[in-house]
Amino acid sequence: MKILPTTCPACNEQLKVKSLICENCSTEIQGSYDLPPLGQLSIDDQLFLLDFIKTSGSLKDMAGILKLSYPTVRNRLDEIIERIKLTGNAGKNNMEKNL
Amino acid sequence: MTEISLNSETSTRNRLSQWLFNPFMFVAGLPALSAGLAIILISGFFCWLGSTHFDGVLDVHTGLAAQWWIFPAEGLIDWILLAIPLFFFGLIISKSSFRLIDVFGTQALARWPYLITAVVMLPSANLKVGNFVFARLAQTTPVVAVNLADIFIFAVAMLLGILMAVWMVVLMYRAYSVSCNVKGTKAIATFIIALIGTEIISKVIILPLINRVI
Repeated sequence: MKILPTTCPACNEQLKVKSLICENCSTEIQGSYDLPPLGQLSIDDQLFLLDFIKTSGSLKDMAGILKLSYPTVRNRLDEIIERIKLTGNAGKNNMEKNL
Repeated sequence: MTEISLNSETSTRNRLSQWLFNPFMFVAGLPALSAGLAIILISGFFCWLGSTHFDGVLDVHTGLAAQWWIFPAEGLIDWILLAIPLFFFGLIISKSSFRLIDVFGTQALARWPYLITAVVMLPSANLKVGNFVFARLAQTTPVVAVNLADIFIFAVAMLLGILMAVWMVVLMYRAYSVSCNVKGTKAIATFIIALIGTEIISKVIILPLINRVI
């Protein structure tokens, strides 16, 4: 599976979605769409959150899986929460506008 | 292939450096507390053998024999006295929620370089040279003569002692930073305040304790 890039490899800015395609009927939609808030995170952060959900949100279990200490895992989660707050607010506002 | 082995070498080196200077990335909570308490007690045993006192959070003095329990008690007092203000500073400046056991556990483990100091201070040459220098400074006649080997052992012990003290302070700060999730100027400032304050308080508590028991 290809990994979806979230930031520009040239200038590190956040990438946007320009085109979506239906694989069934080949309908293609073009425009400029923001990635969803979680999609804007780095791959590492997304994988961390996936593990977090898989362990039912248990930081202790996460620490065991990642072989890191409990506070290190909790600090990482806090950093991701901060990033979501920063990048996600704009995305959430856009989503609410469209609903 | 070369790139892979280089990456693996760099990663091994990074991991080693993390274990040396920030082991709290991997160990905290109850395991850190258990290991830390064991280290403080074992250090106390070596201190008793060498009459070495940790009579302040960072202090190391040698040459004063005392009852066996004084030595581990000094280590425990030093540990608790620093962990308490760091916990409260964490409550004030940290935006995260954190656990008491992580703060106390990591601070206990951060004292492990002083186990090396306790061992390094064991040779009697340290006491001999210490007494000799003190007598010379006080302009009295030294009771014991020192030879070149004594001076060499003393110099190595002093050098290692300073290195261990610096290493321990680095570990104490890392322990505070990881366990309370604090970084930057506020974290450094509160750590320095806690360290200086605790150094003074520990002297006030430990010295009368030693004097009363001897």
